[in-house]
Amino acid sequence: MALSQEALLDLYRMLVRIRTFEERVGEMYYEEKLPAFDIAAGPIPGEMHLYSGQEAVAAGVCAHLRPDDPVTSTHRPHGHLIAKGVDLKKIMAEIFGKKTGLCQGKGGHMHLFDPDLHFGCGGIIGGGIPHAVGAALAIKKRGQDRVAVSFFGDGAANIGAFHESVNLAALWKLPVVFVVEDNLYAISVPKAASTAVRSNAERGAAYGIPGVQVDGQDAVAVYEAAKEAVDRARRGEGPSLIEGLCYRYRGHFEGDAEGYLKEGEKASWKEKDPITILGNQLKEQGWLTDSDAEAIQAEMTSLVGEAETFARESAYPAPEEALEHVFA
Amino acid sequence: MTASVGIIANPASGKDIRRLVAQGSVFDNNEKINIVQRVMRALEALGIRQVLAMPDAFNLIAQAQEKAGVGLHVDWLDMRPTNTTRDSIEAAQLMATAGVDCIVTLGGDGTNRAVAKGCGYVPLVPISTGTNNAFPEMIEGTLAGLAAAAVALKVDGVRQTAIRLARRLDIVRDGEVIDFALVDVVVYDELFVASRAIWDIDKIQTVVLSQVVPGTIGASAIAGYLPNIPNNKQGVWLEIGPQGQPVLAPIAPGVVAPIPIEALHWLAVGEQRTVMHAPAVLALDGEREVPIKSGELIQVRLSQNGPHVVNVRAALQAAGQAGLFVSLNGKGGGQKPDL
Amino acid sequence: MADRLLTTSKAIAEAIAQEMERDENVFVMGEDIGAYGGIFGATEGLLTKFGPERVMDTPISEMGFIGTAVGAATEGMRPIAELMFIDFMGAGMDQIYNQMAKIHYMSGGNTKVPMVLMTAIGGSYSDAAQHSQCLYGLFAHTPGIKVVIPSSPYDAKGLMTQAIRDDSPVMFFFHKGGQGLGWMTPNPRATGHVPEEPYTIPFGQADIKREGSDLTILTVSLMVHRSLDAAEKLAEEGINAEVVDLRTLVPLDRETIVNSVKKTHRVLIVDEDYKSYGMSGELVAIVAEDALDYLDAPPKRLAVPDVPIPYSRPMEQYISPNADKIAAAARELVAG
Repeated sequence: MALSQEALLDLYRMLVRIRTFEERVGEMYYEEKLPAFDIAAGPIPGEMHLYSGQEAVAAGVCAHLRPDDPVTSTHRPHGHLIAKGVDLKKIMAEIFGKKTGLCQGKGGHMHLFDPDLHFGCGGIIGGGIPHAVGAALAIKKRGQDRVAVSFFGDGAANIGAFHESVNLAALWKLPVVFVVEDNLYAISVPKAASTAVRSNAERGAAYGIPGVQVDGQDAVAVYEAAKEAVDRARRGEGPSLIEGLCYRYRGHFEGDAEGYLKEGEKASWKEKDPITILGNQLKEQGWLTDSDAEAIQAEMTSLVGEAETFARESAYPAPEEALEHVFA
Repeated sequence: MTASVGIIANPASGKDIRRLVAQGSVFDNNEKINIVQRVMRALEALGIRQVLAMPDAFNLIAQAQEKAGVGLHVDWLDMRPTNTTRDSIEAAQLMATAGVDCIVTLGGDGTNRAVAKGCGYVPLVPISTGTNNAFPEMIEGTLAGLAAAAVALKVDGVRQTAIRLARRLDIVRDGEVIDFALVDVVVYDELFVASRAIWDIDKIQTVVLSQVVPGTIGASAIAGYLPNIPNNKQGVWLEIGPQGQPVLAPIAPGVVAPIPIEALHWLAVGEQRTVMHAPAVLALDGEREVPIKSGELIQVRLSQNGPHVVNVRAALQAAGQAGLFVSLNGKGGGQKPDL
Repeated sequence: MADRLLTTSKAIAEAIAQEMERDENVFVMGEDIGAYGGIFGATEGLLTKFGPERVMDTPISEMGFIGTAVGAATEGMRPIAELMFIDFMGAGMDQIYNQMAKIHYMSGGNTKVPMVLMTAIGGSYSDAAQHSQCLYGLFAHTPGIKVVIPSSPYDAKGLMTQAIRDDSPVMFFFHKGGQGLGWMTPNPRATGHVPEEPYTIPFGQADIKREGSDLTILTVSLMVHRSLDAAEKLAEEGINAEVVDLRTLVPLDRETIVNSVKKTHRVLIVDEDYKSYGMSGELVAIVAEDALDYLDAPPKRLAVPDVPIPYSRPMEQYISPNADKIAAAARELVAG
């Protein structure tokens, strides 16, 4: 039987939720930083790497995950956090560096950990990939049918940790899915200039695991591929590699002048916007009307607004707290 | 006009979701380069000097030419690869317009279907390298190259005995052919094209086949192993459903599954039937292509509209008979083996 | 209780075995730790006892398997990963330095990494620059890692048991020359009495291995043995050296250090790690901060000079602290 209306509408809502969150953070990031950009200023200081444009990958994969399925992510983690179901308020408060944040302000935008949802991320390229393997190892040792997922980019697929991790996962037949988000660039270096093979999906063959490539702008395509990979892992058949071709709308980081882009490239990718694509698919089936879409957008705007208010109104941690939590 | 051969090789993009559910092998790009190498050496050995090639992001053919070290002149089609199936259609069209005598393809049913959309009357030598491979042959590259050369050189008897017009399944809407499949059409209980591949047996509602021969893998295998196949019917229409009689079929590499056949209709060339399931998606040669909306009426018709396909063994036999392999008098052709 | 003599390597293996019996979440992974028993004997007998599911040989993938240990630890397991030589830390440094050490902190304490990274250190047997280092200074310098360096079989078992039970990441450094291995230069101090029952030694507790009154020697690992050898010689000359085995650099027992210096008024630091920017400098700073007025002479450091460790024996001996050099330094300290 076909994908259900309910599943697809959930997918659609998740895409809108992520986009709305990211775009709002993107607006707030520039508060107090201008006119002359000062990265240290404003309510959201430091670097910012937003996920706008890539929502279909996070949503399509995480739709199959249970709360206790571990996920590791990257310096661009918000999409995965939201798709995994982490509380928007706690994410926002952490980005604002508040005491009520997921990590009490210690981690910030790139280092968020939610042990209840088994979520972790970090700013070192490829750093989280072995962690997913380790989580999968723990799962296998306990004889559970949980699955670990590691999200990382086309740049990370060239780092040693990736290759070591895939080899280990394949060797020990661990329940882990490796998701390469190929958004064409590692900061400014295009994939064609960094990667010896045309597609990272091919690299699965080097380790004896299946690797597939999907259109990362098509949430349903991602959903399908992820379902197969996750089911495979749950059945004990081992790891898989999924490469999603997608695009980041806002550059590598906020403030990226993106001088390295090809002319017209971003515009042509925006024509394949994941929300538009899925929205149209739903409308053709009669499952979504324009007013439904507006209502969903309004709902998400409101949710994100609540998270924003919560973050702004929360207190900062006491400065001395900097000395806490070094050890357990 | 100088004899010329076109080569269309699709780089592996790893798009096949079926790798997650079946035991499909990965015909990796390096293997394809090796095959093209062999094709080129064979072409050169028989005196072909002109090759027209489809550019691709992996530079398969360029790499093959470099490795083969041949004296062929390779002309590159003036096109920008998009790395989608559209490239193969465009390449075939350009080659047909340029007047090539034969096109060698590397790919599965999907690639050949695309080439068939553009090649017109140009005969194809399809070398199998994809996952769904009912149409192309598992044929070694050197032999494929020799056969293509024999066709391009218009050797006596080759065209007559070794080239056939392939059957295909035309998709008809409101009396118009909107698309076609070379080997199989599957009505799949899904709404979207999405990741394109089909693999969930429970979602298969109808299978239409342009050939009923044993020895294939994929949907086309479903009818090939039935007893009592009538002689005068070339295709078959199968309704699949839980009430049906299960028939074992090698439906994917490493997967032999019972497919329950509720109804079976043999098709002669020219016959058509209407698809009875909507909404659904039609998968053509293993790839979801045509969504059918609720209430829409689509027919599938077995036709003999091509493309022209070269039977490699028959071509080599005819060429041998015609003396192609002894006519060169030691001048040109052939390479000293560097063993 | 019967008197049992165990080598350091066997003491470590016993600690691990007893913890693995007690807690099913404990498992071991590393290169050659299975059938081989660990290149330096730290996992001898474990494979036979617990099987390959819990005693896992890994490929040569330090980043991969150390990171895997981190991931498993965040899921509530208690892995012991062996880094065969500390010199190989580069192959997995990010997972040690940025992941294992920092996840607890970055998570605001919501995610623990209860793992042990054990590793072999030290030279003096001609294994040259890339196989003879100590480097504990580097890791003691990294916030978030507990640094444990036993010098005796008794300490090794107690500290390893403590390390496994600790909820924080612990790096456990055992000296190759102190393991009691049959193929290393014989070392009588590598064998000692070890109680059979499980026991722990708290971190942050230095052990005064030899009491004295004329000078304090602060040291760890194999240099404890050499300092004790030197102290015996010095005693014949009427110089009584107090040898303080720090046992753990993080957390560090500042109190014992300061009390000892207050008693003896002279301090000699013996360090097999590179001299500059490491343990020896740190200890001098601590003594200066907390016990300056009690010093009758400037602190003295004996460490490996800032050179990669050479292969040829005369050169390697030249750069390594030994009992004679320690005794000479002590004499100078006491005389000056």
